[in-house]
Amino acid sequence: MDPASFRDPSGFVFRRDGILYRQIQQPAAADWEAFGSSGLYERLVADRLIVEHSDAGLELAAGPDAAAVIRPRMVEFISYPYEWCFSQLKGAAQLTLEVQSRALDAGMRLRDASAYNVQFEAGRPILIDSLSFEVADVTEPWPAYRQFCEHFLAPLALMAHRDVRCGLMLRDFIDGIPLDFVARLLPGRTRLNLGLSAHIHLHAGAQRRAASEPAPADGAARAKRRISETGQRALLDSLQRTVSGLRYEPSSHWADYSHATSYSDAGTASKGRLVREMLAAVGGSTAWDVGANVGVYSAMAADAGYRVIAWDLDAASVEEHWRRVRGDRNPAILPLVLDLASPSPALGWGLEERASFLGRGEPDVMLALALVHHLAIGNNVPLPGVARLFARMAPRAIVEFVPKEDPMTRRLLAARRDIFDRYSIEGFRDAFDGPFRIVREAPVEDSPRTLFLLERR
Amino acid sequence: MPLLAYIDPGSGSMLLQVILAGVLAVPFFFRRVIGDGLRRIRGDRDAAKPADGGEDATPDR
Repeated sequence: MDPASFRDPSGFVFRRDGILYRQIQQPAAADWEAFGSSGLYERLVADRLIVEHSDAGLELAAGPDAAAVIRPRMVEFISYPYEWCFSQLKGAAQLTLEVQSRALDAGMRLRDASAYNVQFEAGRPILIDSLSFEVADVTEPWPAYRQFCEHFLAPLALMAHRDVRCGLMLRDFIDGIPLDFVARLLPGRTRLNLGLSAHIHLHAGAQRRAASEPAPADGAARAKRRISETGQRALLDSLQRTVSGLRYEPSSHWADYSHATSYSDAGTASKGRLVREMLAAVGGSTAWDVGANVGVYSAMAADAGYRVIAWDLDAASVEEHWRRVRGDRNPAILPLVLDLASPSPALGWGLEERASFLGRGEPDVMLALALVHHLAIGNNVPLPGVARLFARMAPRAIVEFVPKEDPMTRRLLAARRDIFDRYSIEGFRDAFDGPFRIVREAPVEDSPRTLFLLERR
Repeated sequence: MPLLAYIDPGSGSMLLQVILAGVLAVPFFFRRVIGDGLRRIRGDRDAAKPADGGEDATPDR
């Protein structure tokens, strides 16, 4: 059973022989049936808003009380909201509201609005939880409203109105950012924004008041909670408008960095040629470009037929990269935010709910171009430590060594004492020829840099 | 509330929706009625659909 499946008694996800299945439990059978017969599933699949599944047969059930077992199509790579850039989180929020709107059309609704129910595939968000639907009482407020605000609206508001790096707070608050906390962090002017004022500030106040009131008798509390269908739609419309109104324009040191490299035209051409040759020599199908910036070399890998995850620590660069690739006709690149010096850890209950960066499979090849000097000098990691981490990430690596005499490395050393005696090409060879075997070493023309193709021992 | 509601909707969050639904329904209703009316006059075939927000709404429609 998937360790993230324990929260919802309606069903769970499990693997058998490497294949992913979802079991639907008896008490959820009526909702599941209604979802199937409403035509909603077909409409969502037709517009690529939810992953498809096929019926798998009850004999595959992994436990008692199964009402159905399905086999969802697997998404290639599972990413988490704290690894998404602003527009990815916004896209996931809009997808969730769109699905809720269509569910209401079909007499149903989303039972939850968790950001973890969304993944990215082929340049767009997609809902992966087929079991999120229930028959709706349209006069009842949306039970997932609070979760939507905490998982989506709160981090988006902080990213748009305070600092885009607030997205990383989702790492600490894996079930959404508490609204009272968000209300304190947001600038006062957000109270003048109708949507944020209602769904964050008033919402935080309503939660505070409710918490200090004695628990009401269940029937009385329920009787009060009635809204009209128009009210239901108006609320959803307001959430959609509020999310659409949140904006972020990337501008950062790093996003400009690719335009300000130390390379001459001849150097750039030579580096590109070498990277293409090495990618062809590997002949794989998946690549991770680490320190991808806005994705110049990710695009090269995609052109060579690779499906690429492009990691970068800078949220602005990832934003710029995502905006560029999401509109591609055949998007093969997924940009994500990650600081390799402190990558996504295992998180949640028993440290098993969300897998770590290293716990989500490995690509055929990793690219670390113009990265090693940032790790070794910017972050003081000795070269053997860099080599060991790379060897845990991928069986093959294309790594660029940037020596001390390079202007970019000199810039890193400009304001500090050079304590890096072992940082040299000899030191690089010694460090990597251990966890890896050096398959090819090729100097970049018109540049002091060298490219290595490495294979894990 | 359905039997299998597994997330905590929060009593403050539910109550707030009742209040907001009441406040938001009026402008929403008029926007929809007036918007639909205008579109019907212009001869738009999609007149029955509520207006969609956001120029960058992700799903294709």
